[in-house]
Formats: sequence, C-alpha cells, structure tokens
Amino acid sequence: MRNAALGPALGAALLFIGVWSADADSPLFTSRSTLSSLNGEQIYDHICQGCHMPGGLGAAGAGVYPKLAANKKFGSWAFVALTVLDGRSGMPPFGIPAGGGTDSGPAHLSDAQIAAVVNYVRSHFGNAYKADVTAAQVSALPHPAAELIGPQ
Amino acid sequence: MENGEGSSSLSRRQLLRMIGAAAGGSAMYQAMSTLGFAAESPYQGPIDLQGAPRGASVVILGAGMAGMTAAYELRNAGYQVQVLEYNARAGGRNWTLRGGDRYTELGGHTQQCEFDKDLYINPGPWRIPYHHHGMMHYTKLLGIPLEPFFQVNYNAYLHSSSAFGGKPQRFREVKADYQGHVAELLAKATRQNSLDASVTKEDQEMLLESLRRWGALDSNYTYVSSDASSERRGYEKNPGGGLSARPIPSKPIALHDILDSGLWSGVANGDTLHMQTALFQPAGGMGRIGEAFGKELGPLVRYNAKVTDIHQDDRGVTVTFTDVRSPAAPQTTRADWCLCTIPLPILAQISMNVGQDMASAISAVPYAAALKAGLQFKRRFWEEDEKIYGGITYTDLPIMNIGYPNSGFQSGGKGVLLGAYIWGLKAMEFTAMTPPERVQKVVDYGSQIHPQYHKEFENGVAVAWHRAPFALGCFGMWTSATRAKHYDNLCQIDGRIALAGEHASFIGGWQEGAVTSALDAIGRLHQRAVAQGETA
Repeated sequence: MRNAALGPALGAALLFIGVWSADADSPLFTSRSTLSSLNGEQIYDHICQGCHMPGGLGAAGAGVYPKLAANKKFGSWAFVALTVLDGRSGMPPFGIPAGGGTDSGPAHLSDAQIAAVVNYVRSHFGNAYKADVTAAQVSALPHPAAELIGPQ
Repeated sequence: MENGEGSSSLSRRQLLRMIGAAAGGSAMYQAMSTLGFAAESPYQGPIDLQGAPRGASVVILGAGMAGMTAAYELRNAGYQVQVLEYNARAGGRNWTLRGGDRYTELGGHTQQCEFDKDLYINPGPWRIPYHHHGMMHYTKLLGIPLEPFFQVNYNAYLHSSSAFGGKPQRFREVKADYQGHVAELLAKATRQNSLDASVTKEDQEMLLESLRRWGALDSNYTYVSSDASSERRGYEKNPGGGLSARPIPSKPIALHDILDSGLWSGVANGDTLHMQTALFQPAGGMGRIGEAFGKELGPLVRYNAKVTDIHQDDRGVTVTFTDVRSPAAPQTTRADWCLCTIPLPILAQISMNVGQDMASAISAVPYAAALKAGLQFKRRFWEEDEKIYGGITYTDLPIMNIGYPNSGFQSGGKGVLLGAYIWGLKAMEFTAMTPPERVQKVVDYGSQIHPQYHKEFENGVAVAWHRAPFALGCFGMWTSATRAKHYDNLCQIDGRIALAGEHASFIGGWQEGAVTSALDAIGRLHQRAVAQGETA
C-alpha cells in the first residue's frame, strides 16, 4: 500500500515543512515560490545583508563576516559563485536543488539568481568587475546535494 | 477559501511532490534519524573521571553549556581548569533577556530590553524534554527550580492566512476533527472489507471499536455533531450547572476544509520525541542555568576573552586571546589539554594547528538562521480574552510561532509573549532588517491572530542568531553526507585538542547535545591524560 510506505516520511515531513506557507500578503517577505523572482540586488537585500550588512561592510565579533566592499578576492567570479553555491565556514549553501529545501530550511537560489547576485556584489560596494557571469557558467560548477534540515 | 494553485501558496500537487521526493526510499526519515532528531539522549549518569594525573591542566574555550559542563566535571576530578569566554556573562546560547539588559548585535544595533521586572524572553533554547537526562541532571545539581513547559495547548491556535478567512482555529478542534474523520474513513473501509487479508475478522471488530473510541464516532461509526465529538472538540455551549446547564454540541469542520487548509500538518507537533510531555523550563528563564553554572565555577571563568590563536605542541596547548575591552594587548595561557567549544563559524576563522581532517570538518557545517522576538503587552489578553495559558500557536505567517508564557498565569499585570520564532529563509529576511523593523513586523503579523496586539503592545526585542557576535548562527546543520564525511573527524581528539558543543552531537540545536558531547570528549581526554601519566 503506497500510503503505508509514505507513513514515516510523511510524519517526519510535518515537523519540517511549513506546509501551509503562503504569506502572499507581504511584499517584504519571500516564499519559496516568490524567491525565484528576485533579482541580484533584491537577493542581497533580503538575504545576504543579514550577515554581510548593508553596503557589504561585513562585521566583526568573536568571528567576522567578510567585508564584501572593495574585496580583492572578488577578482575570481568562481570563488564568489562557489561560496554562494556551497556556503563556506558556517555560511549556509544556497545552491541546493530546487525542492530539496523548505521554507524552514536553507533557501534555494537558481543558477541564474546566483549569477545575478554574484554580478551584483562584484559590481557594487566599490567592486568594479564586469557583471557578465551567466547562469550557464554557474551551472558548470559543483552543486551541493539536497537534504532537509529542520529547526528545533 | 483559496486553493493553493496560485503562486503564493503551496499547491496540493507541490506538497505531494515534496513529500514524494523526500520519501524516495524513505530517504527523509533516514536523514532525520541521521540528523539525530529521532534519537534519545545517551546520557548515562554522572561521569566518573578517577585518577586524574596530579597537576594536569585543561584550558576550556567557551563558557556555554558544553564548556561549563566540562569545567565542572574536570575541576571536580582534580584537573586545573581555566575557561575563556568571549561574552561578559556565562551561558553562551543559554541566555535570557530581562528588563534592563542591553544587547548589541553584529552591525552595531543595540537593543535595550524594557520588560517589567520578572518578565523575560529566552532568545535561544526555551525547553528541556524530560529525557534530556544530562540537562535534567545539571539543573538538579545546580538547584534550578523547573516549571512545566506546555508544548501542546489544546486551546492555542493553528492558523493559516489563506484558510477559514484567516481566522485562527483552536488546536483542539482541528485535532479532534482530523482524527474523527480519519477514524470514520478507516471504519468505513473496514466494514466494507476493503482491508482484505491485512486484518483478520477478529481484529476488524477490535479495530472498529478502537476507531470509535479514538475518533469519537457514534454508534454508526460516523463522526458527527454529538456529545461524543463535542467532548473532544468542545461544545457550542458548554455544560454547566443549574437551569442554564444544558449543553449544545458543536459542529465539526468538514474533512475537505481540514485537508484544504493544511492545518492538519500541525496536529502532530507534540508527538515527536523531543516535544513529548513532560517538558520543563527553568523558573525565571533558561539563562538561570548558565548563570548558576558561572557562579559555581567562579574565578575559573575569564570573561571578555576573545580567542585569536590555538597552538599545540607535543607537551601542551597555548591559547592566545585578547581582552575585548583592551584588544591591543594579546595574552596567552597554556595547559596540557584543550577542550574547544567555540561555535564552528568562529572556530573556522581562528588559527589552530590541527590536522586537515579536523580542519575540514570545522569548515563543513553551515549554521542555521533563526530569530526570536519577545513582546511586552499591557495585559495578558491571551489568557483574559482567549483562555490560552501557555503553549504555542503555529501559523503560516512569517512569524511562524507565538509562544505564550508558561508561568505567571492570571497574575493580572503585564506579560511577555514569544512573538516570533522563525527559521530558514524567513529568518534570514528578518535578520536583514534592523531590530525595530523586526519588532514592528512581528507585531503587525501577530495582530492577524490576536487583534489586541496594536492596542496592548508596549515594547519588544528581536534576536537574530546570525548577528549574535558570540555565535554567528543558531546551530550547526548536518546532512547525512557531511555526517559521513566529517562527523568523526570533528569529534576525534587531535593531539591535545578536542571539540565539544551541540555541533559535535546527534542532538543538534539542543543543549543536551552540548552536554553529552562535552562529557564524551572529556572522558576521552581523561583517558589520554591518565595514559600519559604525570605531566611535565
């Protein structure tokens, strides 16, 4: 019986999936479905600046969030793209497959959006690189695997 | 009521696809077990560290639950212990914000908590399941009074902004009706012999009787408006005494409406192992544990110490740190062994000469986004108007949870709600706002569930864990792939250095993970220390 096979997984899903997520009422908040319509600047403002701060200024406490402004490492577009795709040293990955995450798990960005946000940060905040990274270039990089990760 | 085919909500097809994708070979359940969410604590009673070499020393980095558990036990075992802590307080993520507290997050925004006396919010952990035996042991040891934590409150709400006209539904009604309808369907299938060989004739009779009992069905095995169903979901007019006593049964919500609303997904919230009754909270806030631990350890803890370098050689470990109040002058301390509980996003940035295996593991664990907001209101309207005493309301609004205080019932004065507990994508978006913007949004959204919000709200705080200077995130997120590749390497002792914390556990994000990982690590460090005998 198919449903019986789904039983444990369904039970597990309840805890982790905001199944009735909608929040269409707020233009401020994205859902997994509206996330895909954000451009590079919007992605930065909604997600990245939580850690990297407005203006890409970064921050320092017991550890630091790297300053994106005038960042010499940005000469390598692949470095920036891989960081967004896979995460780095505690930074969450954004390149998990579509549908592999939930509203309560890591956010998924498409290759085109990763290209857009890479282009945005490499051409703003005192960085003057050409905004010419394409979705196809991002697609060619290694992507992390899907897995659901739940809250406490 | 909207159906979920629009771009804004999850359609039925999308939902089934997600569940189906996740269920490929029960992948998701397997992943959950791997993540440790289904595992009970391995705590097996007080640790025995007999025979510590005379004069042996341990430097512990971080005065959170892991670090202080280790410091307490190692000190009692005869080790010379010192603890370096970045914050000016003990506890780490075990933390309570009370009136008068100030908190400055990364980026520089300072929040002044303006709650009244005795009101508080726990920005981090807020509940202790009874089977977190390590946490239960140390709270008892430290003399921390515990109060019940109501994980499930039948009179709290399940809320969907796109179902029932946005009106929140009582958990009691959704649970009773979901269960009743399911029982009726299964009873029907049983009586039509649709279950064929999987249930024997005798079992079918027992099954039917159990379904009637479980689902509050009537004598025809149907779930209808009746005294029986109203005893589960509540009456239209409750029974009382005297002439006005006669009860009026209530009408169940139709099965279609329950399914279409998605509210069924909240019914099992209290059924998972870590959410099962009984759960507890320390009276006065979770931070009472960290505070008591810090007091117990006294001068062993050096506060305001920011670790900048960890260097081991074949005789010991040298830790370089600065006092955050005078960062220009680095200082060093040295011990035979080091237990490091620094959260991985920070540790990944600290120079430390360990092998590539451990170094790779430290960099491989992303930290979850999470946000909690505490809101003070002029009166406890959730109790006075809505008869909600403790527990949690779940909503599809970006605030995700509303937690009602589990103490101070009917105290008449002001009250503080957990106005939001948010994770994932929405937590990232809240994190990107300023604290006043976050609080404003939490109040605005919450008012869709409790219209009293705008009139009664006084002040609030909102803690975004990615902006916590001492943590850079809420907790470590493992996958089965990263577990397989890195977990053992993270936990193995490297020379004279061992790591501990919730990140080095299968109970991620729970304090019990921190406590049990610390005990496991110091047990192994102790074995090495004993094996090496007297120190140089």
